[in-house]
Amino acid sequence: MSEPSIAIPAVSIRKLSKSFDGVEVLRDIDLVVNKGEVVSVLGSSGSGKSTMLRCINWLEEPDRGSIHIAGQRIGINEQTRRKMTSKELAMLRARTGMVFQGFNLWPHLNVIQNVMESPIYVKRMPKDQARAIAVELLEKVGLADKHEAYPFTLSGGQKQRVAIARALAMSPEVILFDEPTSALDPERVGEVLQVMKNLSSEGYTMIVVTHEMEFARAVSDQVVFLDKGRIIEKAPPSKFFSNPDTERVRRFLEITA
Amino acid sequence: MTEWTILWEARALFLDGLLATLGLFALSILCAFVLGCAWVFLLEERNRLSIVVRGWINLMRTLPFLILAYLLYYGLPELGLRMSAWTAGLLALVIYHAAYFAEILRGSRLVLPEGYIEAAKAHGFTPLRLYLRITLPQLLIKTRPLLGNQLIIALKDTAFLTIITVQELTAAANSVQSTYFIPTQAFVVVIVMYWLISICLELALKRAGRFGARRGFDHV
Amino acid sequence: MNTQAWLLLLEGAWTTLWLCGIAIGIGVVLGLVIALIRLAKVPFVEQLLVLYISLARATPLVTLVLFLFLSAPVFGINMNRNTAAIVAMTLNTAAFNAEIWRAAFLSFSRDQREAALACGMTGGVFFRRIMLPQMITTSLPGLVNEMSFLIKGSPAVAVIGIVDLTRVTNRISAVTYDPLPPILAAAVLYMLIIGVLLKLQGLAERKANRLAM
Repeated sequence: MSEPSIAIPAVSIRKLSKSFDGVEVLRDIDLVVNKGEVVSVLGSSGSGKSTMLRCINWLEEPDRGSIHIAGQRIGINEQTRRKMTSKELAMLRARTGMVFQGFNLWPHLNVIQNVMESPIYVKRMPKDQARAIAVELLEKVGLADKHEAYPFTLSGGQKQRVAIARALAMSPEVILFDEPTSALDPERVGEVLQVMKNLSSEGYTMIVVTHEMEFARAVSDQVVFLDKGRIIEKAPPSKFFSNPDTERVRRFLEITA
Repeated sequence: MTEWTILWEARALFLDGLLATLGLFALSILCAFVLGCAWVFLLEERNRLSIVVRGWINLMRTLPFLILAYLLYYGLPELGLRMSAWTAGLLALVIYHAAYFAEILRGSRLVLPEGYIEAAKAHGFTPLRLYLRITLPQLLIKTRPLLGNQLIIALKDTAFLTIITVQELTAAANSVQSTYFIPTQAFVVVIVMYWLISICLELALKRAGRFGARRGFDHV
Repeated sequence: MNTQAWLLLLEGAWTTLWLCGIAIGIGVVLGLVIALIRLAKVPFVEQLLVLYISLARATPLVTLVLFLFLSAPVFGINMNRNTAAIVAMTLNTAAFNAEIWRAAFLSFSRDQREAALACGMTGGVFFRRIMLPQMITTSLPGLVNEMSFLIKGSPAVAVIGIVDLTRVTNRISAVTYDPLPPILAAAVLYMLIIGVLLKLQGLAERKANRLAM
């Protein structure tokens, strides 16, 4: 946890709404995430948490509302008022990072190639520079000895740590975590959460959709609770976990305690 | 002179035919491959161009190769476009097999886990870079057996060009047998040559399969 | 294109269809027989069949047709054009069909056989009533696919002078000096024939997927 700075917020969501096949999945979401903040997003399945996260980098297209990343609106070009082209989207997405539930490491590339791939082919970084960054990041996530390994030889926890290094390689404004530990064996969850804790103390801006209560309590600056597509509670962990305002959250905490 | 001595005497004819076939084959599959990959990239977007490409690919799958060659060699001159048999044959091979390559890659693309694409998008890959660095390598590794199959079909399709007067390997056999009256031997030689080429292709493809196997892809 | 040209075209189409039809009919059954013999793994026969399949799959149809038609007289066999065409196409398609049948057999689950034997069926009854019907369903998409490939390869018979749907366009344009229309018309006819086959293949695939072994 760190002091949020008072500047342009890392992510600013206003009146975000989305429906799938006529079913309203997100309703008037308002959320501001400041630089350096760690925000945990909780809620039961189907509450829309992943959808909200995926709207931030426009992997899902909202029906209404606006999302700004470091002050720049995503999805709609503010000058022309038209939908962003693939190129414009790509440029803005290059400033975010995402860690997926299913890791999504590229199987035809080995570990260090996975981490170097975006800096080289998106940022046009020279290969040696990208490699140096990759080596450092893999060291940071505890996988210094796995450079040449291919993803299929790694455990889930190792894959996810590579995925985190991969996201960090782009020096993103914000890292989006979509249930990063939900697909892991219980023994592997700890190693990934530890890496994420370290990141939070280094000042990275993180939005984490998770079921890990301990992590949320220990590491977040804000906890956000989604229910049926709406944010029904937004509070620092000290308040959220001991004295929540809403009944729904109280029930949730009881059940998951 | 035994028949086999005659064959040796006629080796220049066979060699010319072999080189013509290999040349047509190599050049056409190289171009067809690039074209096929490009078509599949066009299919990634959902726009009017992709509909045309899709329609074109489906069209090629319902036509015999020779009809396309006929169209280019016999049909186009009527519209003012005259070309040599070799050029028409090469063009037909390229267009036809590009469609089949595209169809094979498209089939694999449909079942490619979307997660890999999303991860690349999330990291800011533009559509072209995404296709070249992330999508296409995986498609190629996964479809290697089918692509290999298509290569052998392309090799055999070069023989059709005899019918539009291209002097390739089968034409050479025909030439030898009509000159020296040794049909069986001439064709046996040529059939063995086709057979050896396809065996070499299959061996090369098996080695290519190691690229995927080393990365954990199954059934390559 | 006038009526006479269309009639010639349809004649060409008919030639293609009946020649291919016979080759397909014999080829599918022959492929099954070869696959079954290969399952038995008879020592010398196995190698011979493997050699045949390898050669037949590597040899272009054009070359094979020419070879058979021109070589047969040397061995005293008097083959007319149509026979040569049918024999060549059959030999070609049977080799591919043999591999399709074989793949279906090899992927058949052993459990069903054990269940059948356990309730007292003989191998023969099991094969006839349980294995073969499922084999047919599984192989059908591949077999229909091969049928469309054969029809797409059938213009090869033009090389020995048979007036099939492709060669007939030469005939027509020799009279009309107008090559483009008959070629386009022939293309359309091929599209219809193969289009129907591809639709059938789709149906066969759906049925095979429902079997989902």
